[in-house]
Amino acid sequence: MLRVTSIPRPDWKKQAAKYGFHFHTLYGEPYWDESAYYQFTLKQIEQDLEDPTAELHQMCLEVVDWVVRDERLLKQCQIPEAHWEAVASSWHQRQPSLYSRLDLVYSGQGPAKLLENNADTPTSLYESGFWQWLWLEQQVDTGHLPRQADQFNSLQEKLIARMQEIARHYGINQMHFACCKGTEEDRGTVQYLQDCAIAAGLQADFVFIEDIGLADTGVFTDLSDHPITECFKLYPWEFMLREDYADALKGAAVNWIEPLWKTVLSNKALLPLLWQRFPNHPNLLPAFFENELPAALPETGSGQWIKKPLFSREGANISMLNSKGELQSQLSDGPYGEEGFIIQAYEPLPRFDENYTLIGSWLVDNQPAGISIREDTSPITQDLSRYLPHIIA
Amino acid sequence: MTNQKRTRSINLAQMRKGFALKPLSVGIAGILLSACADDRQEAKIYTSLEDCTRDNPGATAQCEAAYKTALDEAARTSPRFNSEYDCEYEFGANQCRQAESGGSSFFVPFMAGYMVSSLLSPNRYYSQPIYTSYSPYSPFRSRWISADGYVFDGDIRKRDYRVSPDVYKPKPTVNRTINRGGFGSSVRAKSSWGSSSRSGGWGG
Repeated sequence: MLRVTSIPRPDWKKQAAKYGFHFHTLYGEPYWDESAYYQFTLKQIEQDLEDPTAELHQMCLEVVDWVVRDERLLKQCQIPEAHWEAVASSWHQRQPSLYSRLDLVYSGQGPAKLLENNADTPTSLYESGFWQWLWLEQQVDTGHLPRQADQFNSLQEKLIARMQEIARHYGINQMHFACCKGTEEDRGTVQYLQDCAIAAGLQADFVFIEDIGLADTGVFTDLSDHPITECFKLYPWEFMLREDYADALKGAAVNWIEPLWKTVLSNKALLPLLWQRFPNHPNLLPAFFENELPAALPETGSGQWIKKPLFSREGANISMLNSKGELQSQLSDGPYGEEGFIIQAYEPLPRFDENYTLIGSWLVDNQPAGISIREDTSPITQDLSRYLPHIIA
Repeated sequence: MTNQKRTRSINLAQMRKGFALKPLSVGIAGILLSACADDRQEAKIYTSLEDCTRDNPGATAQCEAAYKTALDEAARTSPRFNSEYDCEYEFGANQCRQAESGGSSFFVPFMAGYMVSSLLSPNRYYSQPIYTSYSPYSPFRSRWISADGYVFDGDIRKRDYRVSPDVYKPKPTVNRTINRGGFGSSVRAKSSWGSSSRSGGWGG
């Protein structure tokens, strides 16, 4: 695993405009960065990332199967009691999932460690599945990269195939897609999934989350008053289960993507539950519920622990603890935490030049489908991270 | 390459965003041209009322109804642009007009034709507006497109299509929407917190 500096394609911004990639620069800071790329060996990709990703996913599914049968665990995951039955039945019906992203700490050697599972609302999909793919194709075509250079990235192919499976599963030729207003990045992610759905032969209608309506017949509607029967939502389940329409979810009978059982996986309670179920697994970091700490914390490489809320997003409300579990420093502020915390052994991100590097490892349904690389100048928060492409050589 | 780890090929033309300049809004086409459904039904594109009656002698009333349906649909769903320039960039010189709705003013392309299926069957008949572009900058030049930017195959000489009828899971009934906005309140609540984070979204 190397970081290699590289010459950006001179016309990449023009191409971004043509293909509708509007969030390559966010808040005046570069987000897409092709001034360098990461280079992996095929062995690193297959043995250290692809295989563990498949295995970690299966372990996560085992945790779901465990949680939905146990009221104590459903409570510990802070899933509102009114929805326990719906969570369990979405799992027992095997409602199809589309995709997930595992965030891994990996330096090129040793086992990759699972940091988090973005199983419900993962973003950076477009820049992974399409935009870095296009970068590689063009860099090879212009001779800037060798012809045999490859990339671990079958996302688009797999997303289209999965959309076809989901359409067959539900017997549909149309699906809705939804995200919140006012975020170009989320809208871009959803537009990409609409493109994949269209390539899969579906009609893909869009509605903003805030515009969803409730009809006299109990179904949800879009702005044209058309019923929403199948819907991809880039909006967290933990919010939906607590908002005004939560009570209408059952009657509306929407087949949601991601399905409701994903709320177990996108919850940071997953991390201590994985550690309980698979203690000392090489791809896991020790993790505990804050209210169930063992008498003595195990020793860890860094000697430090990270404390995070069950529902934190964007790296909010994170603190660093010392080896005894005492507060060392608060790393970020935020609105989360009411729902409780977990602690996880602190595994520093590997450093390449001045950058700390995080790997996002994608799954489409249960198949590993590629990686994305994000870099940050800060070792923990990933608040201003940049996206870099990668190659296999 | 036998063991390629990346997507084999991507149709780049399909990845281009439909409109070169972003319209204010686009409509929703009511029909789907599905490549795999084999019981699709015939649909025809007519460019005028006369075009339709010539093809369906004795069905003048139905042609008029289909034309009117398409015009109404166009008023509701045609792509809307901020400026005449944006609209003409996509659709060509003199191909746009000013329109108003709900107190705001914008530019829309002229309806170039309408697509009709099952004209003679009162229950299954279908009509929707169709557009084309004369702009050299547009991927739609000399193609038929629907209100939402769907590009039909072939150029504007092609008039006969097969569209997918409603053979899929029936949709539930909606008489009216009684309220909106029951989702999204957590965003309003959590967004009020700080702004050090660059990401305004709720993806992860």
